[in-house]
Amino acid sequence: MTEIKHHAYLFDATRCIDCRACMVACSVENNIAMDKTRIWVAGIGIKGEYPNLERGSMVYHCMHCEHPDCMSACPVGAYTKAEDGPVIYNPEVCIGCRYCMNACPFGVPHFDYDKGIIDGAFIDKCTFCPQRIYNGQEPACVQTCPTDALEYGERDELIVKARARIAAHPDRYIDHIYGEFENGGTSYLILSHIPFNELGLPDLPAEPISEVSEKVMEMTIPFALSWGAVLSGVAAGVHLYNKNKEEKTAAEENTEATK
Amino acid sequence: MTQTISRRDFLKLGATSAGVLALGQMLPPKVAQAARDAGHLNAAGDGYITSMCEMCVWRCGLVAKIQDGRVVKLDGNPEHPHSRGKLCPRGQSGLMNTYDPDRVLTPLIRVGKRGEGLFRKASWDEALDMVAVNMLKIKEQYGPEAMIFSSTHNLSQVQFENLLYAFGSPNYGTQRSLCFNAMITAFLLTYGVEEPSRNYDNVEFILMVGRNMMEAISTSETGELARAIDRGAKLVYLDPRYTKTASKADEWIPIRPGTDAAFLLAMINVIVMNELADCDFVKQYVIGCDGIRDEMSRYTPEWAEKITGVPAADIDRIAREYAAAEHNALAHPGWRTSNFINSFQTERAIATLNALSGNVLTPGGCLSTEVAAEGAGLGAPSQPPYPRVSALRLDGAPWKYPLVPLKLGVFQELRNAVLTGDPYQAHGWFISRQNPIQSLPDRSKTLEAFGKMDFIATVDIIMNDTAWYSDVVLPEASYLERYDPLLPVGNKAFIRQPVVEPQGEAKSALWIYKQLGERLGLGDFFQYEDEEDYIRQQLEPLGVSLEEVKEKGYAEMPESEHDGEITFNTPSGKIEVYSETLKNAGFSPWPTWEEPPFPTADEFYLLTGKVAQHTQFGTQNNQLLHKYSDEPRLWMNAKIAAKLGIEDGDWVEITSPVGKAHSLLLATEAIRPDCVYLTPGYGHISKGLKTAFGVGASDSALHVTYTDPISGGQALSQTFVTVKKA
Repeated sequence: MTEIKHHAYLFDATRCIDCRACMVACSVENNIAMDKTRIWVAGIGIKGEYPNLERGSMVYHCMHCEHPDCMSACPVGAYTKAEDGPVIYNPEVCIGCRYCMNACPFGVPHFDYDKGIIDGAFIDKCTFCPQRIYNGQEPACVQTCPTDALEYGERDELIVKARARIAAHPDRYIDHIYGEFENGGTSYLILSHIPFNELGLPDLPAEPISEVSEKVMEMTIPFALSWGAVLSGVAAGVHLYNKNKEEKTAAEENTEATK
Repeated sequence: MTQTISRRDFLKLGATSAGVLALGQMLPPKVAQAARDAGHLNAAGDGYITSMCEMCVWRCGLVAKIQDGRVVKLDGNPEHPHSRGKLCPRGQSGLMNTYDPDRVLTPLIRVGKRGEGLFRKASWDEALDMVAVNMLKIKEQYGPEAMIFSSTHNLSQVQFENLLYAFGSPNYGTQRSLCFNAMITAFLLTYGVEEPSRNYDNVEFILMVGRNMMEAISTSETGELARAIDRGAKLVYLDPRYTKTASKADEWIPIRPGTDAAFLLAMINVIVMNELADCDFVKQYVIGCDGIRDEMSRYTPEWAEKITGVPAADIDRIAREYAAAEHNALAHPGWRTSNFINSFQTERAIATLNALSGNVLTPGGCLSTEVAAEGAGLGAPSQPPYPRVSALRLDGAPWKYPLVPLKLGVFQELRNAVLTGDPYQAHGWFISRQNPIQSLPDRSKTLEAFGKMDFIATVDIIMNDTAWYSDVVLPEASYLERYDPLLPVGNKAFIRQPVVEPQGEAKSALWIYKQLGERLGLGDFFQYEDEEDYIRQQLEPLGVSLEEVKEKGYAEMPESEHDGEITFNTPSGKIEVYSETLKNAGFSPWPTWEEPPFPTADEFYLLTGKVAQHTQFGTQNNQLLHKYSDEPRLWMNAKIAAKLGIEDGDWVEITSPVGKAHSLLLATEAIRPDCVYLTPGYGHISKGLKTAFGVGASDSALHVTYTDPISGGQALSQTFVTVKKA
């Protein structure tokens, strides 16, 4: 197997039959507790009125964003973005503040209430199956997919593949690869026949949310300093005014007293 | 984002099952040593072992990952043509069958009343002696025919049959009449082959009649269909329900249940009346070419419209599109095809459509009747001839049902004969890996039939409903813990081998049947030392060692020679669209229209079907599948539900002529207004199934027994029910 420079997934909703083999495979591969999962099904279910019906479903797990919001929100650096794609969570560092859960636009990180604070692993999410991908295997969810709705490979190549698929069947697909640019790009790319927002995917600008917030955050100190300067100025002004006023009053009182 | 599987569903299982994957035991020396010798496991006992899945009858190849003596993951074997590296959700969850906390791990002998669930542990010797003594007692008192044997579609079936034939009973209960009798009988009569294989490489037009391939998953074939659709092949799908297959079809036709044959006969009408068929092929290979126009002229699309509710213009167009695709058209034979008493005619019409397209035996054609003889080229232990059986079969094959192949049988009629005692009374039942209490129609009758038995013994890995009502339960090793006879697929014979040592005292079926055979005085019929010896004898003609097969996962077999001549295994050697055999048995020699019964205005068709996460009645207790499947419900058209004042999520009472059941309702647009559909496989009554007990409702409690006189198939969609808010 050639070495992959940027690991990524491609999910094709037109191929997904909602069989959940990926979900079971992930649970077993990663020994997930029976009341948890790292993969979810979303979508429209069945839409329309009998007999004019449409069905659309999507499976998703961590999108492995190029600019992960979880990472930028994490105050202790428990998240890292690997150069070759995966967003990695480090339970050793995590303090369980759950900022990442609020930050993720896809609602992926889940808090592990069972393990809680005692075991130290607070957050559960897809790991990209490092035990498999660095040993010549596909991630568990991908390998087992009976209809090849999930594929895995080099991100650039998957984008080319997805474009070719849209070009070959323009009637079948929405002319867009979700995740190519959304939120600055993700490593979980999605093709669909129904609008992405109906699959439950948020409309996200190409500029990563994390960069917007980081720009804002970068302004914090200068802003705080300048605001401090302004306030100090005001305080000094008030002080001066009051002092002048007091002096004036005292002078007036003196004047009156001398009358 | 919406989560269609809620957190609450997961929590139902909770912490009790969280540690279940850790319940496996350390690998004892035997399996581990063999696996180390074969190079599968390292010194620490970790590694990969190749074997075969048994979560359904498709039997994918698998690669089991072993760590610390436990199976920790199953992947599809890329070298196996049925899996090609993939497994469906059932295959992925297979290790939870092995690590099911409800496994039966020692032989059990009943101490309470039948169905009370009180058993005591017993040794193998005691349990086997008890089974043998009771079987011999019945044999002496009433003759061997008073013992019923039933088992379905597993790799050890050949030795189960061996036990049955050696014992001398004609009463063999397979569950095939509850499944595919209509398809098999029709294709045997038309093509001389049980089930033609499908080839999607060049397919352009696929017609599927209720074959819900995207939920009734056969891993490789489901993938092939998905790729064909992806490539642009057209799929026309007939089903009263908007299944996941319907959602992938170019055209979904919610046809009136029971009228598929009318739709198909009208397609044949359009093709033959307009001379759209592959004439050269048809003239050369098909019997019935001459009379077919006269015979089919009455089945016009306009005639079919009135019966099926499908516009005549659509039938005409679909027939023309089908014909235009020529031998790249495929009318899929289907699988569980026993729906109505006319399902045999539906299958005959499908067989005819394929004959007209000339897709059979055309290179790259979509249907192939070339089937390697089962087990050809493999050796077998030698054995004496079987005793002659003179008693009639209780199920009526062939004396009541002349065209039903004996190895299929008519299971529901076997049960009925137990109740009537006609033509004689059965007294004992030996059941292996089968659950007739849940599978047979009219469950109360089945329980009554069980009540008539002097003795019942069941072989299974868990306490299924039938085991719960048995006198002795013999614990079988799971498919990851045992050997089974080799399975030939193409020119390879694949092995199922233990990847972990059996838990508790569980044993393989090969071992159990041999032990029982010896106790019944039939030891000569079981001339193998153990499972490995059995497989060595199978491999002998190939000159391949067991060790090599264990390592590779399969043995190469010599290619079967083909002389290029096209013949069919029918009396005429041709495809028999016109069948003398049918005529001689007193049935229509042509595919024909037989009107099924229709429900009254306040009744619904009760439909059954499949979900991707379960196989029949055997997997509901698998905790992983339980976790990832939807809650079982009764589907009803949303507008009808509103009219009846029932809301989505309400409890409803379903009443049929033979029983009642309660279910949660799913009000949905995805079903015809005159139908309801019950999620199959649920409603278990064994309290020994702690995950599945009390979940969902059983359609077996509702189904009326209707038998197709030609194929012997049970008409599973012919039961009409009323539904009210509970």
